[in-house]
Amino acid sequence: MNLDRTLAIAGKIVLQLLHDRRSIALVIGAPIIVMSLVGFSFSNQPEILNRIAPALIGTFAFFFTFLLTGITFLRERTQGTLERMLVTPVGRIDILIGYLLGFIPFAAAQSAVIVTFTVLALDITHQGSLLNVAILLLALVVAAVNLGIFISIFAKNEFQITQFLPIVLAPQVFLSGIILPIEQMPSYFQLLSRIMPLRYAVDGLQSIMLRGSELSSITGELTILLVFALALLILASFTIRRA
Amino acid sequence: MVLEIEKLEFNYGNQKVLENLCLDIPKETIFGIVGASGSGKTTLIRLIAGIIAPSAGSITLFGETPSSRLWGNIGYMPQLQALYTDLTVQQNVNFFARMFGLSETSHRREVVESIINQVSLWGERNDPVAKLSGGERQRVSLAIALVHNPPLLLLDEPTSGLDPKLRSEIWQYFHNLSANGSTLIISSHVMEDARRCDQVGFLQSGNFIAIGAPDDLTSATGNENANLEDAFLYFMNKDNS
Repeated sequence: MNLDRTLAIAGKIVLQLLHDRRSIALVIGAPIIVMSLVGFSFSNQPEILNRIAPALIGTFAFFFTFLLTGITFLRERTQGTLERMLVTPVGRIDILIGYLLGFIPFAAAQSAVIVTFTVLALDITHQGSLLNVAILLLALVVAAVNLGIFISIFAKNEFQITQFLPIVLAPQVFLSGIILPIEQMPSYFQLLSRIMPLRYAVDGLQSIMLRGSELSSITGELTILLVFALALLILASFTIRRA
Repeated sequence: MVLEIEKLEFNYGNQKVLENLCLDIPKETIFGIVGASGSGKTTLIRLIAGIIAPSAGSITLFGETPSSRLWGNIGYMPQLQALYTDLTVQQNVNFFARMFGLSETSHRREVVESIINQVSLWGERNDPVAKLSGGERQRVSLAIALVHNPPLLLLDEPTSGLDPKLRSEIWQYFHNLSANGSTLIISSHVMEDARRCDQVGFLQSGNFIAIGAPDDLTSATGNENANLEDAFLYFMNKDNS
């Protein structure tokens, strides 16, 4: 791995996103609007709100990171810049880590705004450490970046990337305990939920925020998320190929 | 020899794109691959760059099979401009300079500014590429291929979209690079470009129907007034018959 090349790729991502101010505004603004709606809808049912809010924090981080990475990497492929990059001494790992480093600041900023808004404005129960929340979200974001890069090889345009959302995101939302607690689902759905990375993030976030759990109590969730992230990193690396 | 190609074949599915193609290019040569659209020019450039692998035959570049070890020695300009349109001219060139390993900031800045000057884009250096004309984008793409001063340049249609004055300036620049030790392989469908090369290969349906210096190719027609277009048609008819 070459540090300067990796940082150059991360810097390029940051520059590209900063040039696209409307997308930045939407990435930050849209979750706040949804969170506000959820907050008003369940203002008289704090138990439901307490269960949903941490889950939605994870969902937004996953959703926007996946979407932004998928579209940005698809552009690399279709505009020919990826091919051009691959005819330089850059390594695949430089590209993958560069992408991660480029997207993490935006995911972190988005998560910070949503968590602050959720805790302060919606007044949900929050007993845990924000650092622990950040660590768990980081593992989820790494998985989302790699998934975005991996999925981009199956799409020919940005419209097709959005068509992957029902396949990639919808099952995770339904099967990760966001709408219905997992233990109330049919057994086959409970089994299926085990292969959904978002499930482990939701479990971990609820555990930290509602019950004040330390990282030592959620090592299982964190480890599985990191395994997903690593597996997706390997899959993504296979899609960045030279001759 | 900088490049040696032996019995090269490339198939795209069942379609033969290049067949039994042989080519030797010595150092400091400007070699023009000239042919119509679909003749296999871009495929050949991408094979030499190592972006795609041959179906059969061999390519030897700088004495070895193209691999990642050689990528620092190649300046590749694809037919598709392959630029970050939301970034400025300087940001684009600077990014690829870093990809090529120019990590020292002040040296890189000097190199990037110099190359932007050489392609006559100094006034536009802070403009986003999206705002540039086709010809200006072409020059940004060229600047990226040149930024690490590579010994081999693979330029796919580098002069398309350039006006006659710029085309002439760019060619002067290519000749300077060649005089300073670089080898240039340039694809084009424009005979005006072919005329300025040291050696030209006429590519037709995936194989060279003639290779030689422009004057030798025109002389071979037996018509002292023949130009390269006449020569191309002459060799094409000869190949068909």
